[in-house]
Amino acid sequence: MSKSEFEPRIVALLCNWCTYTGADLAGTARMKYPPNVRTLRVMCSGRVDPAFVIFALQNGADGVMIGGCHIGDCHYAKGNYSSRRRAVILKDTLESLGIDPRRFRLEWISASEGDKFAEVIKKFTKELKELGPNPLNKGAQDA
Amino acid sequence: MAYRANVLICGGTGCVSGGSFAVKKALETEIEKRGLKNEIMVIATGCQGFCGEGPIVIVQPDGVLYCKVNVNDVPQLVEEHLLKGRPYKKKLYTSPVEKAPIPALKEIPFFAKQRLVVLRNRGLIDPEKIEDYIAVDGFAALAKCLTEMTPESIINEIKKSGLRGRGGGGFPTGIKWESCRKAAIHRNVEPVVICNADEGDPGAFMDRSTIECDPCAIIEGMTIGARAIGAKQGFVYIRQEYPLARERLAKALEQARSYGLLGDNILGTDFSFDIKIVQGAGAFVCGESTALMASLEGKVGEPRAKYIHTVEYGYENRPSCLNNVETWANVPPIILRGAEWFTSMGTGDVSENPWGGSKGTKVFSLAGNVNNTGLIEVPMGITLREIIFDIGGGIAKGKKFKAVQTGGPSGGFLPESCIDLPVDFDSLLEAGTMMGSGGMVVADEDTCMVDSAKFFVSFLMEESCGKCTPCREGLRSMYNILDAITKGKGKEEDIETLQEIGEVMMDCCLCALGSSAPNPVISTIRYFKDEYLEHIRNKKCPGKVCKAMIIYKINSELCNGCHACTKVCPSDAIIGKQKELHRIDVQKCIKCGACIDVCPQEAIYKE
Amino acid sequence: METIKLKINGFEVEAYDKQPLIEVAEKLGIRIPTLCHNPIIEPYGVCRVCTVEVRHGRRVRMVTACNYPVSNGIEVFTDSERVIRNRKMIIEWLLGRCGNVPVLNKLAEEYGIAEPRFGRGTDNCILCGLCVRVCQDIVGANVLGFFDRGPNRYVSTSYDETSDLCITCGACASVCPTGCITIEGLQEGIYKEMPMGPITPIHIDFMQAVPKKAVIDHDSCINFKTGGCKVCVDVCEAEAIDHSMQETEKEVDVGTILLSTGFKLQDGRELKEYGYGKYPNILTSLDFEVLNNANGPTGGKIVTQDGKIPKAIGIIHCVGSRDKKYHEYCSRVCCMYALKFAHLIKEKIHDCEVYNFYIDMRCFGKGYEEFYNRLLREGVNFVRGKVAEISDATLDKSEEGKLILRAEDTMVGTVRRIPVDMVVLCLAVEAQEDAKSTARLFGCAVGKDYFVNEKHPKLAPVSTPSDGVFIAGMVQGPKDIPDTVAQAGAASSAILSLIQQKEVETEVVTAVIEESMCSGCHICVDLCPYNAITFYQDRKKSEINEALCKGCGTCVAACPAGAAQQRNFKDVQIYAEIRGLLAI
Repeated sequence: MSKSEFEPRIVALLCNWCTYTGADLAGTARMKYPPNVRTLRVMCSGRVDPAFVIFALQNGADGVMIGGCHIGDCHYAKGNYSSRRRAVILKDTLESLGIDPRRFRLEWISASEGDKFAEVIKKFTKELKELGPNPLNKGAQDA
Repeated sequence: MAYRANVLICGGTGCVSGGSFAVKKALETEIEKRGLKNEIMVIATGCQGFCGEGPIVIVQPDGVLYCKVNVNDVPQLVEEHLLKGRPYKKKLYTSPVEKAPIPALKEIPFFAKQRLVVLRNRGLIDPEKIEDYIAVDGFAALAKCLTEMTPESIINEIKKSGLRGRGGGGFPTGIKWESCRKAAIHRNVEPVVICNADEGDPGAFMDRSTIECDPCAIIEGMTIGARAIGAKQGFVYIRQEYPLARERLAKALEQARSYGLLGDNILGTDFSFDIKIVQGAGAFVCGESTALMASLEGKVGEPRAKYIHTVEYGYENRPSCLNNVETWANVPPIILRGAEWFTSMGTGDVSENPWGGSKGTKVFSLAGNVNNTGLIEVPMGITLREIIFDIGGGIAKGKKFKAVQTGGPSGGFLPESCIDLPVDFDSLLEAGTMMGSGGMVVADEDTCMVDSAKFFVSFLMEESCGKCTPCREGLRSMYNILDAITKGKGKEEDIETLQEIGEVMMDCCLCALGSSAPNPVISTIRYFKDEYLEHIRNKKCPGKVCKAMIIYKINSELCNGCHACTKVCPSDAIIGKQKELHRIDVQKCIKCGACIDVCPQEAIYKE
Repeated sequence: METIKLKINGFEVEAYDKQPLIEVAEKLGIRIPTLCHNPIIEPYGVCRVCTVEVRHGRRVRMVTACNYPVSNGIEVFTDSERVIRNRKMIIEWLLGRCGNVPVLNKLAEEYGIAEPRFGRGTDNCILCGLCVRVCQDIVGANVLGFFDRGPNRYVSTSYDETSDLCITCGACASVCPTGCITIEGLQEGIYKEMPMGPITPIHIDFMQAVPKKAVIDHDSCINFKTGGCKVCVDVCEAEAIDHSMQETEKEVDVGTILLSTGFKLQDGRELKEYGYGKYPNILTSLDFEVLNNANGPTGGKIVTQDGKIPKAIGIIHCVGSRDKKYHEYCSRVCCMYALKFAHLIKEKIHDCEVYNFYIDMRCFGKGYEEFYNRLLREGVNFVRGKVAEISDATLDKSEEGKLILRAEDTMVGTVRRIPVDMVVLCLAVEAQEDAKSTARLFGCAVGKDYFVNEKHPKLAPVSTPSDGVFIAGMVQGPKDIPDTVAQAGAASSAILSLIQQKEVETEVVTAVIEESMCSGCHICVDLCPYNAITFYQDRKKSEINEALCKGCGTCVAACPAGAAQQRNFKDVQIYAEIRGLLAI
């Protein structure tokens, strides 16, 4: 597969109340965004163990995104504070693991921001295309 | 120390302004100089009443009166009378009728017909020494009230005496005290006694003199009153313009307190009462009872409707007993000498109906065009003629009597036809005037009745509080009409209009200032209608007062060209050279009268 | 209180002992004229106009009816010759001070005074003292007083200076019988407005209010400023007014919540080009509703600020809506109510030219389009184009006082200049000021226009993602009354079906701690926003209270031992999902 045909695979861990619903809205509103994203629903962005992100990156994902409610709007009050704190440490950890930290994103997208979801995916996909495939990606190299 | 004689010098304001204090000092110096200090006592007393002749000096026990005494007369007086034992003729009173000197006070007509009850101590005591007052049975009435009488019996005695308010209203005092006491008990609120010493009538000085000559009489009267109605607090509301009276009263209060005659546990009983002096601030209307009480409370001195009586709701909404100075001063003698003695003076019969007569005496301030002006006290029922001609000594300067004004701005004018009227509450009211607080002004032929009415109206207009429409606007409308009449612009219907205004004001004014304000106008219309018509129809002023209708002329037969008038004329209206006949330029003359005053030939007259 | 009997003009009447005579006369329907009397203030008895004749036995007195306390057996005559004569002169006297005061002229006419004998003065204050007394005794601000005395008496503030104590309550102006007290605006550019809303601090918002009860505006009520007044308390027969009422917080346990907090109309001042608040006679749609209402300030008459009947009215649609600068959305209700206004105006003022400036005519409902057609037949002018500007740039005298509209007429292809007498702005419907924080309180989110997010725009318009919280009406988005009613019904039925169930199934996504794996580090304890985790000292283990756990999973992610796991969202499940997602 040539670089120009490289289609990055994005795993998005989306919080049920905000980002997941927002993504749903993008869909019902027929917003156009690249099909590279594969969504996974969690109840809250605070559920996301940084290990999930690393696991995804080690198992074929080119980029991982956590989507949660805006700060202050977390359905469970404080969950997204935890995910924010973890994201900071995770970024550092990814570097020391040799993974480009740009392959990980933490985004706050609310339930009505379907357009923002689409935008974010567009941008992330574009960026990942430029970054190229994930060097850890055993499968991609093979395919 | 036994003195062989007392020299009493009048210390009332009138004589003080004539220099009586200086005379007192001169007397003391002269007496000391002559070595008579241990024999002769010099005392300044209250007003003797003979104010037209002050400064007055009386020597007791000789009972000789000297008038118009000044500092220069003192050495001769002391020498003649005190050393040589004969009256100093030069300063004796000379009757204008007989032209003979009358040494004895008792024989001077001014004093002869007077009957002193309120002013019983005038001239006898030093008003600044409470011991003097006590010496003449002062506070004995209070002692009797506290030891032998009950509040109810005190009230009964006052009721029986027929004493009626001396401030002008003539309300039976005993009934007032009774209602006040009843209200206080019924409402269970502590009452208060108040003395009205505001005396606003222009020219009236009865209350001032009474306080100046015998302040303790008022204190005793108020204390008895307080005992009768159950009050612990008393006020004397005195007008600001009476500094000497206020000072003497304050001194007397201090002294009374020190003797246990005022304050806590008076005379050792469980009755406590004290008096506070409160000063007015120059408002005639504050003599009205509700306005006075408002002023006492620190509010604006404005009257209120009297449908609710002040004996029930007065000062601070407490039952309040307000009486005039003279009324209070009558109380101690009534208690001491009994109601029957009091009813022996005066007119009518008060045994069934307290309004049925006028008992006791009345203090008048006799002023105007009479020979003897001053303060007099006469029994009720004396005629106007006796007052004016006997006591007053007749019209001054040989002029004719025209009218007498009683009751101040609330009263009216009486003509010659009424001169034999007995002076009491009811006959004066019937005649169209009122007794008022005791002002009595005599007018001679040179008085213009319209102008006099206008004067009173303008006084009231200035003093009106302005709260109610009829007084505020009515007085103004009356003044405008009277002013027009005096300026020769009167109209035929003016008299009727004035009468109508008077009737409406009497019906509708909120307080007695307004409702009695038409009296001067109505009474002058009643008795002197011709004068009004002269002014209106013929544009002439019979009294030669109204400037618009008179001109000043010089009698060519009398003028000697002395030039005295030219010197004083403020408008240079007199033309003429020295030693030549002078004449007045009518256009320039402002009719001030200065020329008439100075002309030695009495050559200038009004036409 | 003791009752007594007395006679007024020959009629016997009962009264309380010492009751004011004027009250007793009123009971009999006998009117005694007054000038200085006002029932809420203590009688003053100074104008003396109410003087009447009272006989008691043989005693005759003239008394003022306003404060005379009646007693048993008196006979009152309110119209005897003497009374009339006195009254006439009092009126003449007052005219001599104030010759051209309407209330005096009326009395003069009533009593046949053609030429007052004391002339006609030029003052306009009759010194009745009502203003002084209301300010001192009722309001308690003590701003006004009487000064000087006698004929020179006058009413003023201390030292005749503008008073700092005046709270501009307007009580003095409202009791003044001659109208000589006016309230002046101190700022420039504020024209004298006809009040459109309540004019007293205590008021009923409008006649159709639900509940129709009076409310007190705390900021303008005199009692809250000076501690005085409370006249409303005196007159309320039901004794329902209590100024000392405090805000109370109540805790209510509920199972479901319906949010229907409505909307607000955009502030017209935001659109400076339309001059709302700057020029007179520019109204918002709600202003016009008030004006048109039979219970409004003009009784339903459509008039300009100075009371004249307008000859031309412009109604502007889409003010602030469908506008990139303000709100992109359409407010949905304006076209129809604008057409309603046009119809009402035409009905009330037949020959008034009505101009509707619109972009599109949105007549989407039943009978709506037909109504629009009717208006076309009624001669309403429809101009398809936005109004660029409203100004007062009149050209000549004939346009004096008019507002000039400049609008594009896209159908004709020109810019038109239309002078009108009145403009109605159909302002955008907006979410309430505090929509965001209110929604957050109930666990709801708002969209970018601050309308509350529904669970699903098509399939669940009245539910929210939070179970048990429902929305209805404009809070969810602009809509008209039929739609609001429908949503209210839908939400209510959803609620009813919810609360009628005996048992409710909830999603089980709670977390559980495997005790054997728990090391007792209690990192999870502090993280839980619901305090659902308790650390037990004795066992040195943490345990999750399933009733409190809401299932966010934060503790699960934080647990270093993996002892905490979330049902349906176990680590192993998520790993499996990730693997699955990346399988292709």
